[in-house]
Amino acid sequence: MRVGFIGLGAMGRPMALHLQQAGHDLHVWARRPASAAGLPATLCATPAELGRRCEVVFTIITSSADVEAVALGANGLIDGMAPGSVLVDCSTIAPDAARHIAARLGGKGIHMLDAPVSGGTQGAIDATLAIMAGGDAAVLERVRPLLECLGKRIVHIGPNGAGQVAKACNQMIMVAAIEAVAEAMRLAAASGVDCAKVKEALAGGSAASRVLDVMGERMVKRDFAAGIEARLHHKDFGLVLKAARKSGVPLPLTATVAQQLNALMAQGWGKDDTASLLRALEP
Amino acid sequence: MKIGFIGLGIMGRPMALNLLKGGHQVTVWARRAESMQPLLEAGANGAGSPAEAARDNELVISMVADAPDVAEVMRGVAQEAAPGLVAVDMSTIAPAAARRIGAELAAAGVDFIDAPVSGGEVGAIAGTLSIMAGGSESAFTRAKPAFECMGKNIVHVGAPGAGQVAKAANQIVTGMGVLAVAEAFAFAAKNGVDRGKVREALLGGFAYSKILENHGQRMLDRNFKPGFKSWMHEKDLNIVMQTAHELGLCLPGSAATAQMFNAMVGSGMGEEDSIAMLKLLERLSGQE
Repeated sequence: MRVGFIGLGAMGRPMALHLQQAGHDLHVWARRPASAAGLPATLCATPAELGRRCEVVFTIITSSADVEAVALGANGLIDGMAPGSVLVDCSTIAPDAARHIAARLGGKGIHMLDAPVSGGTQGAIDATLAIMAGGDAAVLERVRPLLECLGKRIVHIGPNGAGQVAKACNQMIMVAAIEAVAEAMRLAAASGVDCAKVKEALAGGSAASRVLDVMGERMVKRDFAAGIEARLHHKDFGLVLKAARKSGVPLPLTATVAQQLNALMAQGWGKDDTASLLRALEP
Repeated sequence: MKIGFIGLGIMGRPMALNLLKGGHQVTVWARRAESMQPLLEAGANGAGSPAEAARDNELVISMVADAPDVAEVMRGVAQEAAPGLVAVDMSTIAPAAARRIGAELAAAGVDFIDAPVSGGEVGAIAGTLSIMAGGSESAFTRAKPAFECMGKNIVHVGAPGAGQVAKAANQIVTGMGVLAVAEAFAFAAKNGVDRGKVREALLGGFAYSKILENHGQRMLDRNFKPGFKSWMHEKDLNIVMQTAHELGLCLPGSAATAQMFNAMVGSGMGEEDSIAMLKLLERLSGQE
């Protein structure tokens, strides 16, 4: 199948490669053509051109505004994609933005799934991402073989936007857990106790979690090089709190964690890993 | 002075009336025509649009709900502005929005001042508002006679946007202040202690504040009529949190307080005064 891919960052590049290795004819567009270097893919001049050539297009880029520009802007996908073709947006954006883009594309008979992913760079490389999809169930079934090249757990959550709501829930739980691990590690260190031992002990009990394993390990080793850049979690928390406000739902813990993310950003660690929440607690 | 006044809600109506009392010639416009009636009866002229409220005036003042409303009325104002017009927005909006609107007006040759107020409906009626202004010195000087009819504590804080920064800081202090007093009262009541007596005792010490005095009394009276509606305080704290997010600024207390106001709006107390915070705390602790 001719598959398009836009967004060749830390997540997108390995994802695109998996699709190509599964035997698909990969087409890419990149804002900076250099980021497509070395990929066994046809480079397109605009998103519209990529859309014209492909039956299914994947996007995984940073913000709601970026996805809107690529999908609906000048020379956007909407100008190229044929009726019946499918846009699979794996970016993390606002549920409202996903619904808006889906409606605009739908007006031209183009299908869209919001299909944000969880699992980080390692999950993208290992093709073990969790994929949470919003949109028409029949459309998801059509592209499921492609998604199976990228991840293990693919869940249809509901209509357009529902995938992004699930992703927001994922981010809330995950980053709050990172903060909890950071605070525990900080207390252990400040009490003169070996963090590595504490982490090892906790891993066997009720506090065991993937975040404790992965992020706890980074904190113990003081390895703050990004997996996922903290600035992206900071962005996500802005989206979550905006949605909370719209629904009148109080999220006291999320709001507090968001402030720790603000502190992290202020100290210039936005491009480091979110394990830097530990550093935000240190004198 | 010839002054246009746009927006005649809880705050705008008494402010415009005080300009009339101060001997100024006032032309008013409001989205709902019936809001204009009390002002027309008091001697104001009526306008058919924001543009008309600005026409041939030296000063035009807006007092509306939110940034998109300010942007819209100011676009109208720019159409009919006489040379040398000073446009003053006294609404509470984001500092970034005020700077943007100021820049658009400057491009149309209109001087802009952001001059949000504190003091609530009581202060608006009594003409004792605190007014915090951002804009050029010369524009501030020209607007000052009008400010003096509406307020007592009038401070030129700095450049455009500075007034809104001061107002956001004000909302941090008042938002947390209301929550602090409500928590202290919930604490006293749960301990079986008379909160009226607690208030009286605290008024003499370091915990004294206007909020303890005024808002505290209204909590004791269980008078939840606005005043200042809790949805508006929620909106103002959202401006604070949005700005903090953009700047990378850690405000844990404001964040917690904003979520309490969010809960008030979500549980149907949005139209009540912000002191209904007390009811929310009582509900959370089974004190109803």
